[in-house]
Amino acid sequence: MDQVANFDLFASRLADRSEYFSAGHRACQGCGEALAVRLICKALGEETVIANATGCMEIISSMYPTTAWGLPWIHVAFENAAAVGSGVEAGLKALRRKGRIPNREVKTVAMAGDGGTMDIGLQALSGAMERGHNLLFICLDNEAYMNTGIQRSSGTPMGASTTTSPAGKLSYGQKTWKKNMPEIMVAHRVPYVATVCPSYPIDLLNKVKKAKEVKGPAYIHCFSVCPTGWRAASELTIALGRLVVETGIFPLFEVEDGKYRFTVKPDTLRPVKDYLKHQGRFRHLTPDVIEMIQQGVYHEYNKLQDKVDNLHAWSELRKKPHAR
Amino acid sequence: MLMRGSHVIAESAIRAGCRFYAGYPITPQNELTEYMAGAMAKVSDATFIQAESEIAAINMVLGAAMTGARAMTSSSSPGLSLKQEGISFLAASELPAVIINTMRGGPGLGNIAPAQGDYFQATKGGGHGDYHSIVLAPASGQEQADLTVKAFECADRYRSPVIILIDGMMGQMMEPVILPEPIDPRSLPPKSYILNGASQRPSRFIKSLILDTRDMEEHNWKLQRKYESITRDLILHESYLTNDANLVVIAYGTAARIAKGAIKRVREMGLKVGLLRPISLYPFPKGAIVELSRIVKHFLVFEMSTGQMVEDVKLSLEGRSKVHFYGRPGGIISTPDEISKVISSLYYRQNLEEEQ
Repeated sequence: MDQVANFDLFASRLADRSEYFSAGHRACQGCGEALAVRLICKALGEETVIANATGCMEIISSMYPTTAWGLPWIHVAFENAAAVGSGVEAGLKALRRKGRIPNREVKTVAMAGDGGTMDIGLQALSGAMERGHNLLFICLDNEAYMNTGIQRSSGTPMGASTTTSPAGKLSYGQKTWKKNMPEIMVAHRVPYVATVCPSYPIDLLNKVKKAKEVKGPAYIHCFSVCPTGWRAASELTIALGRLVVETGIFPLFEVEDGKYRFTVKPDTLRPVKDYLKHQGRFRHLTPDVIEMIQQGVYHEYNKLQDKVDNLHAWSELRKKPHAR
Repeated sequence: MLMRGSHVIAESAIRAGCRFYAGYPITPQNELTEYMAGAMAKVSDATFIQAESEIAAINMVLGAAMTGARAMTSSSSPGLSLKQEGISFLAASELPAVIINTMRGGPGLGNIAPAQGDYFQATKGGGHGDYHSIVLAPASGQEQADLTVKAFECADRYRSPVIILIDGMMGQMMEPVILPEPIDPRSLPPKSYILNGASQRPSRFIKSLILDTRDMEEHNWKLQRKYESITRDLILHESYLTNDANLVVIAYGTAARIAKGAIKRVREMGLKVGLLRPISLYPFPKGAIVELSRIVKHFLVFEMSTGQMVEDVKLSLEGRSKVHFYGRPGGIISTPDEISKVISSLYYRQNLEEEQ
């Protein structure tokens, strides 16, 4: 009881206490994605329209005739959350301009899983970002097609065993590196790109609030621990979300106007083994594959560090046309 | 061997010489993709790709077919909608491919329960332009094995996409199956149209863009002649207790199995009811139905849809007999008991017990 009282004292100033994503949905035990969506909705608030691609989140939250959503929400096909979001945003804009709806800001948000973002939805997402809609796109990345039974996606990390990248005598599982989606979004020159993880709730809330205020396209990549698909204990969701950041596998950063910034920075990176060892999908990995993953993580982390240290905001570049 | 339907199709495909498979996750056909991921890794010259979308998967199959490989993809209803452009291109370019559709309730995203709402899409073309795919509808594990082999043979013989229509029930149900003997794809006859480099021969090309209207017309008639020869040679159907029947039920796939159970029940009650089960949906067994109509004056079409094949039955009969319809769309699986009640009430309402 004391802890609940403390929550009221301190946390209520940091997080909106109203709930827009209700309990009673059908997510698995320890679902990181449901946790993330709950926080994301708190940060977005009532003036929001969400277009949600097919995937776990749609299935677990909207089993007809029930719904967990307290925000205006439309479920769309697998490939087109960003396209439908574009239409919603343009439609609201037109109605506002004609005076048919009150002239107030309603944020359009599109949500999709890693498959709906990085694979089948990439074309629609790229188009929406390029056109510059006032649209926030959130990728709920649980690193495989979990809804259909754990098939690999281009968000699946190196070495992970899934049903379509099975590990065995002939293979150590997924043999490609995870697609670097935030970088693809930065390359679209969108004003705001960030990575979040519900294990760092305040960081997540701050970034979603910031993205909401952006006038133009914004992209948030949310790392969502999936105990079912990762063959991990469901009580480890928060711990795994922290470990993935502490090992540098999924650094938390934001890119505002081209300027990179770490928002959570571990002093020293923990070895990736600390993160991998809790998950059944990595259980088969031999030390040499783990070493390869470790080197891959260092490589990507150093690249990111280099960008944090050296890249300027695009608005500054405009002032100094010959800089660098 | 006791196997689930989707595994039967996957294993039979590999044994039929399929060496390229591209898939994309969608329920209820994931077991097929997953089986392929593991099984194709064990075949030295086979390639499994999980594509980034259904559109990519069908076009990978198109690419593989151009190289001469026996190629396959599988999906479920919404995924098939995305594949339609590719299937139209396969038909226009006269390339062989096998496409598995594990139908589910629709329209839209629908649900994942067994349904037969994609009949029109599969048999009438589905994509744009004047074309048909060969459509086969197995109703048992063994038939899934046999028709998969047949699908690859027909695809190569007619240079045409072949669609196998099943549903989640066929895909999930486990039945004893005798799998086909594996063949070596290198033993298959060489294909004259494939693209594999142009050393020591003029280069070839494959395309479906024919801007000249007269050439395009000729190409359309050429395809049409092919469909006519398919219609002559390829019709498959099963007749069950139709010899003395006053009423014949027409159903395919899962619906036919339910109907069969229902007919067994009403036969026990002394009702003379038979079943005609189209196995090839395109070409449609029109002749068999017309033949039956000489004696049978009442047909009952049972589908797990709001009524699609019933139109083909009516077109076949051209008013010769009465066509009744019973449908359960949206993923409802009727029980044989339910269908037997439908049959018997129709039977008595039409006074068929008095007919001789």
